[in-house]
Amino acid sequence: MGENTSVKSVSLDLRGQICPATLLMSLKRLNEMKGDLKTGASRLTILTDHREATVTVPEAASNMGYAVSVTKQDRHYVITVEASRG
Amino acid sequence: MFVRIEYKGGRLTGMLPSLGWIMAAGLAIGLSAGFIMHRSDFCLAAAFRDIFLFRNPFMLRMVLLLVVATALLFEMARGLGLLAFYPFPLLGAPSLSNIAGGALFGLGMVLGGGCVVGTLYKMGAGSLVSVAAFGGLLAGSALYAAIHPLWTSFARAATFFRGRITVPQLLGIDPAAVVFPAAIAAAFLFLKWRREGKWGRPAGPSGSIRPWAAAVLLAVVGLLAYVAVGMPVGITTSYAKMAAYADSTLLGGSLSDAAYFRTTPLDVVNPATGLVLRGGPGAVFDAIAAVQVPVVLGIVLGGALSAILLREFAIRWRVPPAQLLAAFLGGSLMGLASRMAPGCNIWHLMGGLPILAFQSILFVSGLFPGAWIGARALELIVS
Repeated sequence: MGENTSVKSVSLDLRGQICPATLLMSLKRLNEMKGDLKTGASRLTILTDHREATVTVPEAASNMGYAVSVTKQDRHYVITVEASRG
Repeated sequence: MFVRIEYKGGRLTGMLPSLGWIMAAGLAIGLSAGFIMHRSDFCLAAAFRDIFLFRNPFMLRMVLLLVVATALLFEMARGLGLLAFYPFPLLGAPSLSNIAGGALFGLGMVLGGGCVVGTLYKMGAGSLVSVAAFGGLLAGSALYAAIHPLWTSFARAATFFRGRITVPQLLGIDPAAVVFPAAIAAAFLFLKWRREGKWGRPAGPSGSIRPWAAAVLLAVVGLLAYVAVGMPVGITTSYAKMAAYADSTLLGGSLSDAAYFRTTPLDVVNPATGLVLRGGPGAVFDAIAAVQVPVVLGIVLGGALSAILLREFAIRWRVPPAQLLAAFLGGSLMGLASRMAPGCNIWHLMGGLPILAFQSILFVSGLFPGAWIGARALELIVS
C-alpha cells in the first residue's frame, strides 16, 4: 500500500493574514487533528508568507513530536507537519 | 554649509542644505531600518504580545538588547560631544498620561498586527492588513484633535517631577554613572542567556538576519539618526500631518482647523549647526515633515526592497474581513495613543528609555497591560 495514497492531506492557506495568525491557527489545527496526525492518517500542509512562522511553527510542531519540513514555493512557504517515523 | 533657516508666518520659506541633509539622512535611516526589520522579523508588537499569547519572551529579550545597546551608544556619543541636544527635544516631565498612552498603544499595536514601524515595513512587503492599520493610524491621529484640549489639561494636571526629564536629572548625577553600570549588569544577563541557549532561535529562511544582530544594527541606525538629526527616530507626528494634508485636500480642511493642528511641539535651534527645527502636525511643510516623512517613506521602501530581493513581494487580496477591521481599529488606537502619550514605541524604546526618560519608562510600563488585553482580543478575532 503506497503511503501517499493512504495519507489524507489537509491544507491551511494563511497567506496574507495578520500576525500572528499563522502560528495561532496552526496550533489550533494541530490540536484539532491530533489523533489523525499522530497515527499518520493525516498530514497538515500550511501555506504562509510570514517568514517568522517558518521558524515558530516548526519549533512548536516538533516540540509536539511531529516531523516538520519547510520548503519555499513561488512567493510563499509550505510547512508540512506529519507523524514522525521511527 | 550650515544655514539658519528663515520662516515667514510659521512656514518654511525655502529648502536649505541643512534640511536637505536631514531629509536624505532620514531616508537612508528609514531604508536601513525597514530592510533590517523585514529580514529579522524584528516585530516590536510581537515582543510584548508573545509573552502573553505564547508565553515566549524571546523577542522581548532582543528588545532589551536593543535598548541597552542604544543606551550605551548614546552615552558614548554624548561623551564625545556628538549629540546636539541632551535630553532631546519633545521630551518633558513625566505625567500619568504617558502610562495611559502606553497602555492604549500596547493594545493598538497587537490588534494592528504590528507597531507604527512594523506596519510600514510589512506594508512595503505587500501586506493588505498593514495597509488597513496604516489607514487607522492616520484616522486615529486625526481623531486625537477632538480630545486634544481635554487631554492636555489632564496631562498637565497629572504631571510630576516638574522640570525633570530623566532619572539622572532627578538624582542630580551624571548619566554615565547610571548607564555604564546598568549596561555591565545587562551584559552579564545576556551572557547567561547565551549559555542557556535563550539567545537565539533556529535560523530563519534564507536571507534572514539573526534577531540579536538586528538589535545591534538597529541601535547603530538609531544612533546615526540622533547624531544626524539631533533627535532619535520618531515618526508619528507626521501621521497626524498626513491626516491633516488628506483632510485639507479631500475634505476641505474642516478638521485641520482644530487647535491641535496649529501647535508646534517641536521648536528648537540646533546649537551645533544653528539650524532651526520648528514644526507640528499642521498641513504645512516644516521641520516635522523634513525629519519624519523621509523616515516613514524609507521604512516602507526598505521593507519592499527586502521582499522584492527575496522574491517574496506579493499582495494577497483574500484576507478575512475581521482581520482587516481589527487592523484598522488597532491602527486607530495606536494613532490616537501616540498623540496622547505622546510618542510611539520606537521613540520611547530607541530614544527615551535609553536615556532613562521618565516619560518613556511610564510609556513602556503601559505597553505590557495593553499588550495583554490585545493578546486576549486577538485570540477571539483570529479563529
